[in-house]
Amino acid sequence: MDPDELEFLGEKSKIMIIPTFNKENIHLISGDLGPFRASLPSQVPLWVATLLKKQKRCKIIPPDWMNVEYLEALKEQEKQTSGFTRMPSDHYMVEAKLLLDCAPDDIPNADEVKVIIKDIWDMRMSKIRSSVTKLVKNSDFYAAVDNLTIMEINSVRPILPHALDNLFRMKHIEQPKPSQNSNVSSFLMSKRASTSFQLSNNEDY
Amino acid sequence: MPLSVSYTPNYYSLEDILATQERIPCRVAQTIPKMGHLNSSSVDVDLQEGTVMEFPLWLVNEVCVSRVPILNPDLPKIYKESYREILKADACAVDLHRLNLHFYELGSYVKKFDKKNDVHQSIIDTFRSRFRQLINLADNSISDPMVQQRLDTLERKLFNDAYKARVKLNIWLEHSATVIEAANMVVNHKKRKRINLEELL
Repeated sequence: MDPDELEFLGEKSKIMIIPTFNKENIHLISGDLGPFRASLPSQVPLWVATLLKKQKRCKIIPPDWMNVEYLEALKEQEKQTSGFTRMPSDHYMVEAKLLLDCAPDDIPNADEVKVIIKDIWDMRMSKIRSSVTKLVKNSDFYAAVDNLTIMEINSVRPILPHALDNLFRMKHIEQPKPSQNSNVSSFLMSKRASTSFQLSNNEDY
Repeated sequence: MPLSVSYTPNYYSLEDILATQERIPCRVAQTIPKMGHLNSSSVDVDLQEGTVMEFPLWLVNEVCVSRVPILNPDLPKIYKESYREILKADACAVDLHRLNLHFYELGSYVKKFDKKNDVHQSIIDTFRSRFRQLINLADNSISDPMVQQRLDTLERKLFNDAYKARVKLNIWLEHSATVIEAANMVVNHKKRKRINLEELL
């Protein structure tokens, strides 16, 4: 999947805003929005929040976790454990990126928040990388991927699933046994076509 | 990034056709009448028993499955003991591309010619130990374009997909008014140089 697609998914998460305008309910396929009353907090999807913010028609209340103390603690925790810590949001990277992008004035210490989030991201990415190589190298049977967010999982695709698929195929291409049947049937049974390594679709050709 | 045709028997798979073009050394197990012209060094009408010749894999595959074998195939030299030792020593240092374009694919075919069944483990181990190199390469491919030249076709395909995905992710991370970037202190700290700084600048 493209990071842009993941961003699209992440934009559905809810966030509180303080609108600066009055408006009745807005009816959308994904659900109703509003009603909006000026200076009364209201919950909207992230994409609406960024849209309104760009039009300067609302003030965004940053999520609880988007403050320096909490993130520092999270970073420390991430540093201590060898596994992955649970992130406050499944789309923390998308939320952080969009909010820091369009509403740095609504987030206290936006610059610091930005830096800490990047540090956490980098730490987690290097953990992923080392555990992936370990997984393939030592032929472990499973890998614990608790608490990984969708964006991070996507960073090892497609190489990891494709590599594991091919390892599986190499392991399981059968050793042909001495055929007991007649010439013709063994000819038909020969598994020739099943050993074609092919990864991407035919657009390469 | 579809993996749709990976498992289906694909008759027209170009990879497969190219891999099975490879010639396999064989010993003729019984005299084949009227096929003497295959062996250019003899003038006989029949292909004599005991002749050692190379036949393409697609032919050997079909001929060897019968109960009375016509050909006795041998392992190609790159899968033999001496080459396996080299791969065991350090698989990453080997230029697979030069050994064979379709190293893994061909290996999966010819491993059935190996009585002791060592080739099977050898190609799997080779893939395993080269995987780390592959993933590092995909993450910072600018570092050494020469290493890419030493990948087998399968690895090259994996590399290309991984590299494309990596580039997309980097673009996403950097494409915004305010780039989320590491602290100066972190950047200056040598150990963390891995994040793609070249592209940030």
